[in-house]
Amino acid sequence: MAPAVRSRGFIALALLPALLLFLVFVIVPIFWSAYYGLFDWKGLGSAKFIGLGNYEEILQDEIFWRALKNNLILVASSIAGQIPIALLLALLLLRNTLFSRFIRSAVFMPMVLSTVVVGLIWGYIYHPQFGLANAVLEWLGLESWTRAWLSDPKVNMLAVSIPINWSNVGPYLIIFIAALQNISSEIDDAAKIDGAVGWRKLISVTLPMIWGTVVVSLVLCISGSLKAFDHVIVMTGGGPAQSTELLATYMYNNTFDVYRYGYGSAVSTMIIVISALLIGLQYALTGRKKEG
Amino acid sequence: METNATTTGSAKLPAVKLALRAGGGLVKLLLIVYAVLTLYPLYWLFISAFKTNQDFFNRPYGLPHAWMKENIVRAWELGNMGRAMFNSAFVTVAAVLLTIVLGVLAAYALSRFDFRFKKAIVALFLAGLLIPIHSTLVPLFIMMRKLHLLDTYGALILPYTAFELPIAIFLAMAYMASIPREIEEAAMIDGSGWWRIFGSLILPLCKPIVATIAILGFLRFWNDFSFALVFINTQSLKTLPLSLSLFSDGFGTDYALTMGAMAIAVIPTIVIYLLMQEQIMKGMVAGSVKG
Repeated sequence: MAPAVRSRGFIALALLPALLLFLVFVIVPIFWSAYYGLFDWKGLGSAKFIGLGNYEEILQDEIFWRALKNNLILVASSIAGQIPIALLLALLLLRNTLFSRFIRSAVFMPMVLSTVVVGLIWGYIYHPQFGLANAVLEWLGLESWTRAWLSDPKVNMLAVSIPINWSNVGPYLIIFIAALQNISSEIDDAAKIDGAVGWRKLISVTLPMIWGTVVVSLVLCISGSLKAFDHVIVMTGGGPAQSTELLATYMYNNTFDVYRYGYGSAVSTMIIVISALLIGLQYALTGRKKEG
Repeated sequence: METNATTTGSAKLPAVKLALRAGGGLVKLLLIVYAVLTLYPLYWLFISAFKTNQDFFNRPYGLPHAWMKENIVRAWELGNMGRAMFNSAFVTVAAVLLTIVLGVLAAYALSRFDFRFKKAIVALFLAGLLIPIHSTLVPLFIMMRKLHLLDTYGALILPYTAFELPIAIFLAMAYMASIPREIEEAAMIDGSGWWRIFGSLILPLCKPIVATIAILGFLRFWNDFSFALVFINTQSLKTLPLSLSLFSDGFGTDYALTMGAMAIAVIPTIVIYLLMQEQIMKGMVAGSVKG
């Protein structure tokens, strides 16, 4: 091997630019927001140290709890929507025929669209006057079901979750197909000899074989649902009357609409804490599955 | 279900066989319906982009009465879409190149050498995969304002690259693990230095994973909305998604025009998707699993 000194110089030059950029733009901001969260600060002028005042206010603000609840609604709807749909489609589209390749690429397509475009198109679909959603309901004779989907607080979180599900089935479909195709043909044969076919085979052979992948997908689903900021900003902006507020839009609106930088920073830190808790929970769950 | 029809069907009565085949046909039909449902919003976007506003209101789901190509032209001019497209292309290409160079180099150092703090550095990058980007918007905004980076291309290129590095590094490290070390040892004996080995041996061997990293980066940067929304304010620096969201505010009631602008914005990604869908699907799955 080369003289150690030459290697050391190479390592430093190869690694440092990436490490520096990553530290400055990803890691350092986390500590900054924790620090700014302790101040009452309008962005300009002097900042007043208020200790944990911002955090106390956050925990007492019912909008914060609503935002957290809305985030959890998105998580639940993603787990109830994307995973079962993707799994069902994967079982049906397992073989690499031209037909199933075509359906797969159609299902994956929304994934490459800008979230702004997805939000705008669905905003039109939900439009109270000319929207597709109401038109379809009228055509089905369900006039009483028509409504302003994005402004009715009873249904608007559900309405917001549909486009998010619509655009995210694709990757899970591909993940599940890869996992299903990995099941060896010997296991298939063994199942056949034991007389396991149809539903019984699915439940007692196929699902256990890909269970690890299902768990990974659940984890992805949870972290993916925390990223729904764009759709909500474009479709509702968190409104009306903050009924579709998510943690991220709550942070955004507090910081850039009413210029409470200190408070926004504290909310940012809360988002990190909550994601860390969720990730910890995920690891606890996946860890147990591996043992079992 | 279809496999049952082929494997056990031979032992069954013709009537059962027929029923199974009909079932398979029904499944196919349902799959087609699902695919059509998925594609319909896009189809609707494209037909609406070519309608007059009146046509749009009167027959929202029919084909356009007359194909209004002017919508696209007007949207392009009024929305300053040419400028937005240039901005998007510029920041995307710059950030993709930077991600590849910095990411693959760092991955090489981390996968081939042993040094102090190596494990800690890998763990740090791994943690980067878990950090929700929205939680960094406020501190990054404050930091970039102090550095006078706001409202520059750098305000997008640098954070894009920084947040993409963990995925790029892990994909590249996993790939490099499959390249035998004997290749480098042979080059070493020939007297090549590390830079030469990296540039003329390792980088060319990494082409497939570089392609994956580039695709992931392209889609993420081209479509990014959050960073552009917070860090860019100057009209002439706005990227496509940002211009589009503002366009829909400004021309809120001119639906045909907004649809035209959206059609312009999605065409590049759709064309690239149609050309390289296999690679995009595999790349995005690899990226999301590692992420």
